Amino acid sequence: MYEVLMYDGGVHKVEQLYELIEDVGGFILQKTQVQVMITITMAIPAEDRPLIEAKTAELGGKVVEVPLAGTEIAVIGPTLGRHHMPHPICDIAEHLRRYGAITIVMGLARGRGRKTCQISASEKAIIEEYDAAIFMLGNFKECVTHEKIDLFKDIQIPVVTVVGPELDSLPHCEALVCGVGRKVERMRRSEEIAKLEEIADRVKEVISVRRQEIEEDPLFVHPSEVKDALDDMDAVQECLRPAPVVLHVDGLRVKIPYEKHLKELEELEVYGRKLKDIATISNCRLGDSTMIRIKTKAEVQEMYVPKVD
Amino acid sequence: MEFELEGTEQYALDSYQWLLERILMDMSISNMVERARLIIRPDQTLFIVSLKVKHSSGKRPVNDIAELVGQEGGTFLTIKDEAFAPRLLATLWRLYGRERVQQLTRLEIFVEGVPVNEVSDLSLDPEEEVRSQLLDAMWRLLPEGLKVRNEIYTDDVMTIVATEHGMTVDFLEEAKKVHKNMIGEAA
Repeated sequence: MYEVLMYDGGVHKVEQLYELIEDVGGFILQKTQVQVMITITMAIPAEDRPLIEAKTAELGGKVVEVPLAGTEIAVIGPTLGRHHMPHPICDIAEHLRRYGAITIVMGLARGRGRKTCQISASEKAIIEEYDAAIFMLGNFKECVTHEKIDLFKDIQIPVVTVVGPELDSLPHCEALVCGVGRKVERMRRSEEIAKLEEIADRVKEVISVRRQEIEEDPLFVHPSEVKDALDDMDAVQECLRPAPVVLHVDGLRVKIPYEKHLKELEELEVYGRKLKDIATISNCRLGDSTMIRIKTKAEVQEMYVPKVD
Repeated sequence: MEFELEGTEQYALDSYQWLLERILMDMSISNMVERARLIIRPDQTLFIVSLKVKHSSGKRPVNDIAELVGQEGGTFLTIKDEAFAPRLLATLWRLYGRERVQQLTRLEIFVEGVPVNEVSDLSLDPEEEVRSQLLDAMWRLLPEGLKVRNEIYTDDVMTIVATEHGMTVDFLEEAKKVHKNMIGEAA
């Protein structure tokens, strides 16, 4: 079982950490260097964590828990208008990044209003490509409880709803955070930061439940192992988009065009098997990217069991 | 600023009062509003906002703001009160066009082909700008989905009634009543 951690420290002798990660069979997911400081997000076997901690202490750095690392989360507002952006939607997205998540911000085309709010099938399909979605719904209780809940009724991924008025519960969502409505300024007061923490806690919970579900029928390989193979592809190395490979709980998003690189991706070898045998490769709804959903061990084994009539 | 709130949901009223305060503060015009009234009924999809503006010092004649000298081919202005410089320049541009109004230095303007008496007859109304800023603030405040809107404005009171589908006679009547009440207090 892999564990995702973040090293935060200096660049001096950091090659020793790279070597150790490789020796224990781990992977580097992301490196961000600012002058002489560096943060490294890594996936390592859980049992080797003490070794990594000892090395980071030796290098004068520290290991930070990043419970949302390896996830991509969508923060969704009714529209992209100035009524909803940049606050509080971008504040929430920015706060989740501190816990290692890759976040995107999305506005619906016709999500504003009470009776007129709606979500299209293509918007739902885009949202379902992420690991979890956060819906930001506004200040009116009547509007949220009667109309806006339809926006996420059929979404097949975990949904965390953020609303202004205090509510006991809300149907069709996995978690609810109250007390965050429309904002016209950055959430920087202590009570607002506490609310951002509360949202992050709810997201951690729903992701944790999702991971436990996957553990019951584990993936054939961890997404970071596929990322390691993908990183050697020329197309990925030449990709100029930030974070060309993004980890999901059950797969990856590779930011290279699907049609152009499908054959190459299908033939990619991961532990002696072709990627097409251990994962479902599909086109991404958001253009010029490819979605890879890793099959479970049971799914892969089933393919090799001879059928008995 | 004095607030009057009326509606069916306390959270919505409190949050919109806070939003209005922050928007006005953000635009640096909170000291220009004397009274504000909000009526919010989400169950009827009704939102009414009415603002009463504080009276400012009134119109300032141009010869009070700048020294005017008639010259061959136009009028030469030297601005005395720098605070009015951008508004004076904008007014001259609007009236005579950018080709005829030249800003020679920061405080010197030459207006081509306009006699001095015509320029001296002009006056600047600071409330006009305040009204336009207030309208912008109210549009920022109004929920985005309430697209059917009706505006009522007199000299110092502006009222906007907004709903989602169709504006009813009752909503309009209520907005007029609120507007009259705000003017009545001013009289």
